[in-house]
Amino acid sequence: MSRPLLMEIGVEELPASYVAAALAALPDLVRPALEAARLSHGEVRAYGTPRRLTVYVDDLADRQADLEETVLGPPKAAAFEADGTPKKAAIGFAKKLGVDVSALTVEATDKGEYVAGRREEAGRSAAEVLPELLGAVIPKIPFRKSMRWGEGEVAFGRPVHWICCLHGGEVVPVEFAGVRAGNLTRGHRFLAPAEVALDDAASYLDRLRALRVLADPAERERVMLERLDAAAKAAGGVMIPDAFLVGENGSMVEEPHVICGHFDQAFLALPDEVTIEVMRGHQRYFALRGADGRLLNRYLAVVNTDRSPDIITQGNDRVLRARLADGRFFVEEDKKVGLAHRVPALDDVVFQRKLGSVGDRARRLEGMMGKLSDDPRGVEAARLCKADLVSLIVGEFPELQGAMGRWYLTQAGADAAVAQAVEEHYRPRGATDGLPGSALGAWLAVADRADLLAGCFGLGQVPSGSADPYGLRRAALGIIRVATAGDIQVDVGGLIGLAYDGYVEQGTLTVEKRAETLAAIDEFVRGRLAAFYRDNHRGDVVAAVLAAWPGDSVPDVEARLAIVAEVAAQEWEAFREAYKRAYNIAAEAPEGDFDPTLATEDAERALIAAWSTIRSDVDAHASAGRYEDALRLVGDLRDPIHRFFEDVFVMVDDAEVRDNRLRLLASIARTLGRIAHFHLLGGTKLES
Amino acid sequence: MTFQELILSLTRFWAERGCLVVQPYNSEVGAGTFNPNTFLRAIGPEPWNVAYVEPSRRPTDGRYGDNPNRLQQFHQLQVILKPAPIDIQQLYVDSLLALGTDPDQHDIRFIEDDWESPTLGAWGLGWQVWLDGLEISQFTYFQQVGGIDCKPISGELTYGLERIAMYLQDVDDVYELEYAQGIKYGEMFKRAEWEWSTFNFERANVEMHFGLFDQFESECQKLIGLSATKGKGGKLVWDIEDPLQRLVLPGYDAVVKCSHLFNVLDARGAISVTERQRFIGRVRHLARGVSEAYLAQREALGFPLLAATEGAS
Repeated sequence: MSRPLLMEIGVEELPASYVAAALAALPDLVRPALEAARLSHGEVRAYGTPRRLTVYVDDLADRQADLEETVLGPPKAAAFEADGTPKKAAIGFAKKLGVDVSALTVEATDKGEYVAGRREEAGRSAAEVLPELLGAVIPKIPFRKSMRWGEGEVAFGRPVHWICCLHGGEVVPVEFAGVRAGNLTRGHRFLAPAEVALDDAASYLDRLRALRVLADPAERERVMLERLDAAAKAAGGVMIPDAFLVGENGSMVEEPHVICGHFDQAFLALPDEVTIEVMRGHQRYFALRGADGRLLNRYLAVVNTDRSPDIITQGNDRVLRARLADGRFFVEEDKKVGLAHRVPALDDVVFQRKLGSVGDRARRLEGMMGKLSDDPRGVEAARLCKADLVSLIVGEFPELQGAMGRWYLTQAGADAAVAQAVEEHYRPRGATDGLPGSALGAWLAVADRADLLAGCFGLGQVPSGSADPYGLRRAALGIIRVATAGDIQVDVGGLIGLAYDGYVEQGTLTVEKRAETLAAIDEFVRGRLAAFYRDNHRGDVVAAVLAAWPGDSVPDVEARLAIVAEVAAQEWEAFREAYKRAYNIAAEAPEGDFDPTLATEDAERALIAAWSTIRSDVDAHASAGRYEDALRLVGDLRDPIHRFFEDVFVMVDDAEVRDNRLRLLASIARTLGRIAHFHLLGGTKLES
Repeated sequence: MTFQELILSLTRFWAERGCLVVQPYNSEVGAGTFNPNTFLRAIGPEPWNVAYVEPSRRPTDGRYGDNPNRLQQFHQLQVILKPAPIDIQQLYVDSLLALGTDPDQHDIRFIEDDWESPTLGAWGLGWQVWLDGLEISQFTYFQQVGGIDCKPISGELTYGLERIAMYLQDVDDVYELEYAQGIKYGEMFKRAEWEWSTFNFERANVEMHFGLFDQFESECQKLIGLSATKGKGGKLVWDIEDPLQRLVLPGYDAVVKCSHLFNVLDARGAISVTERQRFIGRVRHLARGVSEAYLAQREALGFPLLAATEGAS
């Protein structure tokens, strides 16, 4: 017989993020516990709201499976005398298993012969096993921060009020934090507050629905979105999509209802970003756009009740009015001051304790922009790009950095390209964020990130493991992505060097440590590049290319990757083998070029002829980044080099002949090695 | 409901549920939490239930009386229930009825809001309570106070009285609130806001405040017999061994003064970012000393309130 199992832990309101994390973890806590207890079961699911965490198991067996297994004991030699008389070890082992010594057998294993015995244990009823099993699961539910309450003995995400635990219709008396499970649950805190007895586990979701609780988060989110869409339509607009708000709101209510409020048209004069962020950041409201794409003076709020929507809407309108008035106050004060006049205040904002202020940083960026971009407006954009950090509105809403800088500059009639670069220099904020749309913005974006990398590496603040407090991986990836887009020609190594020099000029980093720091950043950037290209290229191809890459242009890495991938294919296998041998042997080559007249073998002359024909062209193509053309020529070497290694013995006694052969191979390896370190390519069978 | 009626009805509500009604602390504090009726009483095993209004000063929040929502001094109604009873949330919801607000006809929400006071070495978990989107209260389960783990746990309820009154009276400007019949909040406090804002931002004597900070710091150490230097592993070192010879309350008063002096200096723009952490650390060290001294003193006295409850039950 099997029946569903239900365990609902009733708590005071959990933070939105706690609910999602706990529900994700619950099945993975319960499943192995049931398996270890030999209780067969169907699917294990988690449900939950801010006020309850629930695990639900389909078809949980009424009894444990009987245990019957073979257990290995001591080695045969330690257990029995040569004549088969049992020693102490055998008697003890049999006793532990509860069997007669005569029932023991001998099993041959990899490590020799061992005594073995059968262990049997009749399965116990689930009713016996479950209370302890589930009681051990509850304290393992993970929370970002746990708290104690009451007498302060136990910790959990929030205080526990009830546990409703049923196997079929039977109560499983789990205990946690002084609460003993029963068959009582509770509905919505305000809409159905009374305690209600559940007759059986199977009816859980239906019963809770009647108690005004949508316990299944997926169902709750679906209903919420339907109601939001309907309300948006009724208000003549569409909701601005926002995954964060959907997640938050869905985890903050037990039964989602939607109200549509409004605010004074006059607030629409504020930048849209401010209006949206005031609603989103403080109040978790959804903003609406009309058919023409313009922001409406309406918003949607998810609430936890369907009673008195008019009163609740009025209340929310009031709150938003005060919030928007605050926002308008900040924006107007900021406009009075003017963004350019905020710049000196950046000297009082710490960038990093040992690296000076944000003002210092802006001055370094100015210096860099003067050298990076031909556009004189680059320096002006650098000077202004951090100024909105000390504006009142960004102090209140840090997410608005950049957007507000642009808005204030535009309002003040500043050059549009400068304003755009100020906003865009924060892009890309993350792996999926868009890139700067202008060359000036792109230059400022890479300069900003190079400055961060140079400063942090200069101090030895290097990411380790998962710890990357300054976001250096993101910064390096940002440079790579902007450089890949190709709107600007970035020399990565040169850029970082330039950034480092800015610190030297300001006296925060030393010339002495320059080479060492730049080498460390170069290695770091290569690591990021390898990670960046790993999705679409074989690891050995990326390694071969990066080893030859001088550390400047990112599009150049891509050009190399394309052709090296070809060399990694099947038809080049013989070439790779030959190159690898040439590469290894070339290390022993003395200085100087080879002399064609010293060749003694046919295969040697043939290789020299083939190589001499293409050598200068390959060199020219590789230098100019025309890797495809270079590779086409290198194709002519495939047969001669293969034949060379078949027919010619390199390390002959005659030093002159030997050295000449080594010089020939070194010449080939050196020239081709400028395209990629082909010897790092594995076989074609290599996994990507 | 006038501002003063709001105070009266909330106070009555909690008095009827067993809270002592006490008066505000007679020194400048940033929140009701600084009142020794919360800060000290939350430490140790003794029960404590109390309610009081606390005029709370936040110098940096001053707006010269120009902003309809921001004040450098506002009023909290503070409730401490120790240990926090298991139905404390329901008690809180019931208290809304005392404001004439039927919780069943509104959207009441408990929104995650963890609380931490670096100067007091205190933290707790809980919520801000929303009434139709308006934050009207802070609700905190203290976990640690003065660096000491709380056991049992106190529940702290803090009502933002101006916010609630503005909601109840349906006004958008705090100065338009009716404090009592015929007297506006503006009459009581608008000039005060301008004067204190001017003081905090422009006129406060910086040198004097720095000097006072140093003096109260050393005074506190002397009063509770705390050595300025820490021992092995950051342990506190005591110059006065006998817990009953340490003057905990005057010592704590000096901590409160240091904290406020720091806030004024901060508003005055006299404390740089790097110095900030150091000042906070100095106050925290004192707060920790007072907390440990208080616990030792209560223990030496045999935790009188514990004996009283046990005797009663």
